[in-house]
Amino acid sequence: MATIESIQNAYIDYVLTEGEQPKSVYIFAKQNEMTEAEFYQFFGSFEAVEQNIWAEFARKTLMEIRGQEIWGGYSAREKALSFFYGFFELIKNSRSFAIYTINKQPKGFTTPRVFEQLKDIYENFADEILKEGLESSELSDRKFFSKRYKDALWVQFVFVLNFWVNDNSAGFEKTDEAIEKGVNVTFDLFQRSPIDNLFEYGKFLVKNGGIKDKMGF
Amino acid sequence: MTDENNKVSPTGGDPIAIGLEGASEQNSMPTTKVQRSAKFVTTGIKIGGNYIKHYSKKLFNPDMDKSELNEDNATDIYKSLSELKGSALKVAQMLSMDKNLLPQAYVDKFTQSQYNAPPLSGPLIVQTFRKYFGKNPDQIFDKFNIRSTNAASIGQVHEAELNGKRLAVKIQYPGVGDSISSDLKLVKPFAFRMLGMSERDLEIYMREVEERLLEETDYELEVRRSVEFSTACANLDNVVFPNYYPELSSKRIITMDWLEGKHLREFLATNPSQELRNQIGQALWDFYNFQQHELRAVHADPHPGNFLITPDGKLGVIDFGCIKEMPEDFYYPFFSLTSTNLLDNKVETIKAFRQLDMIHKDDSPAQIEFYYTQFREMIELFAMPYLHDHFDFSQTAFFDQLYRFGERLSKLPEFKQARGVKHFIYVNRTNFGLYNILHELKAQVKTDTYKPHVVLEY
Repeated sequence: MATIESIQNAYIDYVLTEGEQPKSVYIFAKQNEMTEAEFYQFFGSFEAVEQNIWAEFARKTLMEIRGQEIWGGYSAREKALSFFYGFFELIKNSRSFAIYTINKQPKGFTTPRVFEQLKDIYENFADEILKEGLESSELSDRKFFSKRYKDALWVQFVFVLNFWVNDNSAGFEKTDEAIEKGVNVTFDLFQRSPIDNLFEYGKFLVKNGGIKDKMGF
Repeated sequence: MTDENNKVSPTGGDPIAIGLEGASEQNSMPTTKVQRSAKFVTTGIKIGGNYIKHYSKKLFNPDMDKSELNEDNATDIYKSLSELKGSALKVAQMLSMDKNLLPQAYVDKFTQSQYNAPPLSGPLIVQTFRKYFGKNPDQIFDKFNIRSTNAASIGQVHEAELNGKRLAVKIQYPGVGDSISSDLKLVKPFAFRMLGMSERDLEIYMREVEERLLEETDYELEVRRSVEFSTACANLDNVVFPNYYPELSSKRIITMDWLEGKHLREFLATNPSQELRNQIGQALWDFYNFQQHELRAVHADPHPGNFLITPDGKLGVIDFGCIKEMPEDFYYPFFSLTSTNLLDNKVETIKAFRQLDMIHKDDSPAQIEFYYTQFREMIELFAMPYLHDHFDFSQTAFFDQLYRFGERLSKLPEFKQARGVKHFIYVNRTNFGLYNILHELKAQVKTDTYKPHVVLEY
């Protein structure tokens, strides 16, 4: 009896051996001794299989990191870092498949379809830790911008993913560095920073300093 | 400014702010330290700016390579280093007798600025453990403090507990090895320009430095050596070593016993008695000279941070990252010179100088005479502690003399070219570093415990 997992594994094996998607669900099902109907019971298309594999990576990562004893003591920043490290450690084992699907995606600014489910899970997670961070005032609540924090985290994620695809260093140490530096910078920007003060000061001057008149505006 | 103001007080330890690198951390006055780090902060900012510049240019011209970026970076690094110049570089010159050590100072300062990195995040530590042991730190140890207690030069130290034992776990920053090589490449062309040394000359020294620095990043090697050296030195009085746990160590992680104790500066702040200071000084002297003269390989990083003074007045040695091995063809000519019997024999002394490449084959008779006089004076100073059976390192006169000598040397145009074999870099750093710590301790030391092996003729 086919299961989600057996279909996924068979699919990964197929694309990595053949270098391309099966010609049809019929051929794929026949090769794996199931009926087409069985396949459709779980997935509507091959793309759905790929989407689910990526979503699974994220779900597994979350389960793993949330199970760590230390998790409760982490700040939002550390939770994000923990997700990144856990995720890339996990997909290391499926690197060929990951690269195969990533390279297949059209280059562009929109989120590749294969990441759609993954993105949902990721954004839920990001929302959750950002909310925590804002509540504990680890992060700075800024008008308009705080709503965009999770987008920044997604951009960060896509960046590291691409970095990892091209990383040749032993044990992907460079990716670790990219995560450590990148995520920290992103969170530094989320925190209250001199820029906030500068902005406040600017506002103050405009209101009270008569700066417009003096500057001859 | 008068000359007086320029001169750094010998008691401040600055003249031999030695050991060059790390030592400055504890020796120089706090204000200087702040200024220095400020310097590196600004350099860091500039370099960050350079990257931004590079990437924004690259956005419009994807073919652009990195050479301009490297050039920009190195210029800024060079600028900040030349502002630091004052004592740091003079000292370097003095220590190296010529310019051998300059690249070292350059590199040290440079790497230091690199690794004044922010502490590793908790998740990265967990990740490092998972990578090398397949487990989280809390699955390996009974207790593990995710916040680091100390920064090591290329990593950080965490406290842990296993089976009731308190442990120190050192974790290396990822990518350090890679950046050392690329950093050195970056520094090279500027070192050429700065030192006016020929590329070939400098290459030899740079390679020596690179080798040592890369060795320091190999934690598996460090564990092996720590075990070897602590076993070999186990019989020395008042010197203690932590146990190492190879099964809990890996390429990026070292686990050892937690040594209780104070760092040199904290120790001195407790106003220890002369007797206690002598005891620690003696332990240091024995530790170094036993290694140099009996093992012919030496812990080449006399950075005060690598030692602890235990509550029962013993010297704890906690870092074997940097080991310099001394080949015979360096050891004998160099240490034989510390014996007056040889140094009084001009013909044999010149032979030894030649063997150490301090006098070159194609030097004219006048040059030979000149370098002979200079180096002889240098060696005499270096060998002073060996002259009698004890030496009082508290006397400032000796350090004053060293400083003045180095000062004079740095002004002589003859010392623009490279002289001396590459081994001098680390051997000098070690010995002058040791002298300096002993000076800080104001220790009186019996210097005939482990004497150099001497050959009287060549």
